[in-house]
Amino acid sequence: MKTTMKAISAATALALAGGAAHAEGELNIYNWGNYTNPEMIEKFEKEHDVTVNLDSYDSNETMLAKVQAGNTGYDVVVPGDYMIKVMIGEGLLAEVKPNEMENFENVDPKWVDVWWDEGRNYSIPYQWGTTAFTVDTAVYDGDINTLALMFDPPEELKGRINMLNDMNDVINAGLRYLGYGRCNGNEEEMREVLELLLEAKQHWRTMDYSTIEKLTSGDVDLSQNWNGAAMRARAQRPTLQYAYPKEGFTGWMDNVAVLADAPNMENAKLFINFMMDPENAAMTSNFARYANGITGSEEFMDEEMLSAPEIVMPEDAPAPDFVQPCPQEVVDLYNKVWTRLKQ
Amino acid sequence: MADTPPLAAGATARATRRRIRSRDLKAMPGFKAAGWACIFALYLPLVVLVIFSFNDNRSVVKWTEFSLRWYEAAIENDGIRNAAWMSVKVALVATFFSTIAATMAALATTRTAAFRGQGLAYGIINQPLMIPEIVTAISTLSLFSLVKQLTGVTGVGYLMAAHTAFCIPFAYMPIRARLEDMTLTLEQAGADLYATPWQTFRHITLPLLMPGILAGAMLAFVVSLDDVIITLMVAGPGETTLPIYILGALRRGITPEINAVSTILVGVSVLLVLVLFLVQGKMKK
Repeated sequence: MKTTMKAISAATALALAGGAAHAEGELNIYNWGNYTNPEMIEKFEKEHDVTVNLDSYDSNETMLAKVQAGNTGYDVVVPGDYMIKVMIGEGLLAEVKPNEMENFENVDPKWVDVWWDEGRNYSIPYQWGTTAFTVDTAVYDGDINTLALMFDPPEELKGRINMLNDMNDVINAGLRYLGYGRCNGNEEEMREVLELLLEAKQHWRTMDYSTIEKLTSGDVDLSQNWNGAAMRARAQRPTLQYAYPKEGFTGWMDNVAVLADAPNMENAKLFINFMMDPENAAMTSNFARYANGITGSEEFMDEEMLSAPEIVMPEDAPAPDFVQPCPQEVVDLYNKVWTRLKQ
Repeated sequence: MADTPPLAAGATARATRRRIRSRDLKAMPGFKAAGWACIFALYLPLVVLVIFSFNDNRSVVKWTEFSLRWYEAAIENDGIRNAAWMSVKVALVATFFSTIAATMAALATTRTAAFRGQGLAYGIINQPLMIPEIVTAISTLSLFSLVKQLTGVTGVGYLMAAHTAFCIPFAYMPIRARLEDMTLTLEQAGADLYATPWQTFRHITLPLLMPGILAGAMLAFVVSLDDVIITLMVAGPGETTLPIYILGALRRGITPEINAVSTILVGVSVLLVLVLFLVQGKMKK
């Protein structure tokens, strides 16, 4: 009994200490779940003789909470556009200056001076996409490029609509439909938006993030959706089509950045440079099924992605609207509208 | 009953029968319906999960045909395998230490005369149950971050310590319940026969307590395996557990690999419970 106890204690001590073993040649990446191509990671591991640990989070806010507490042990994170701005403001990101690295010339010029990181001193593009909606053209065969389908639906779509359960996405769509500005602090206009949403809500079936499942199971015929998810849903239900509403739609971008307290700073910088290579960016796109921001990656991307209308915007579509975060009073106003809507 | 007058005896017998019948819950109207409704509500989602793990289609809601491809994919998927293994590792260590601590706590706080601070002791032992989990998660994160800063020591030990802490009350409850059922007479008999406290514990208390300890350990294991919020906050690089992996993948679309892994976990749990049930059955004799 005593020797077994000793053996167990020794084994436990070893297991507990196991984490601190390899300090050299490591990289700890913290990314969204199911968003990193494992083959791309293997390629990086071989090229630079580094062991990569990949962990996942489910939202920008969870990642921010952990990073704010400090000493997470992560080197690389992949925040959304507004989150980069927040983290730079709080001093959580290292100024690794990707704009001075050798692969920087591959970054598409239109993604260099972005409002969340002008000149790209902290981050580089990872994947970007749009948020509009998908509709089944077998159910409705009229012009789909208008937000009226969500807010004033025709007979055949009433009660067959899913909206995203996201305050900003729903309210911004309402603002665009009424022609009002984003980050709207005007109470009158927001009241109109609330009425519009309440009126339209009776025709909505659900408000849920799992858009792919809802569309492919036939639960709904129209869903507010991200373009990558729309493409994956279309693979299962070919009559679905992604709309580019003339009133406008949201654009978003996830970016790769290095934490200020990263334990493996050099490897993190190597990874940033690695991600700006067109071939590697294409590997990410092929896995996550979204566009990257790196020129020259088209020749490495899957055929079906290059011809997909979800990825390649049609000529006459309006430019995506990258919404900035709003001041606190506006967020409070939005929260009031959202709470009333969800009652 | 023989010396009571016949009329009274008949009345008493009838009353006894009536009392016995009305006490039998299973014979009450609506019991079957309520029972089946509960079973459906609890297990139907699980059954659907298991069935769809054999679905050939990538979607988790549309059935096409039977296939084992998701089991192959799950086993080959490094992320899922590592996450599952990490979950089991952390759960085993946490169960081991929390059961020991809970046993000690139960022995100290039950079957004794009321002592000062007993209420406080209960409060401290059961604290993870009383405070919202997110509060425990954030405070643990802050504490560990401070410790890491001061000592520079990292590793999976932090996660295991956090799990041990919140598993203790779950292990404590069944052990305490079992202990309260045991009177002190056997231990006193042992003491009368010149047994030392340690011998009394080893040969009398522990074997009698074993069903409670096993129940507590099982509960602690399941709770640790299941935990999301605390693990989400405290886990460091390379310490992703299975629930965290699944949560992270939810936003971007789940595949039936998740179903396959979950079915394997459910299978292992059922097996574990069966084995323990048989062992307990043997031990009762």
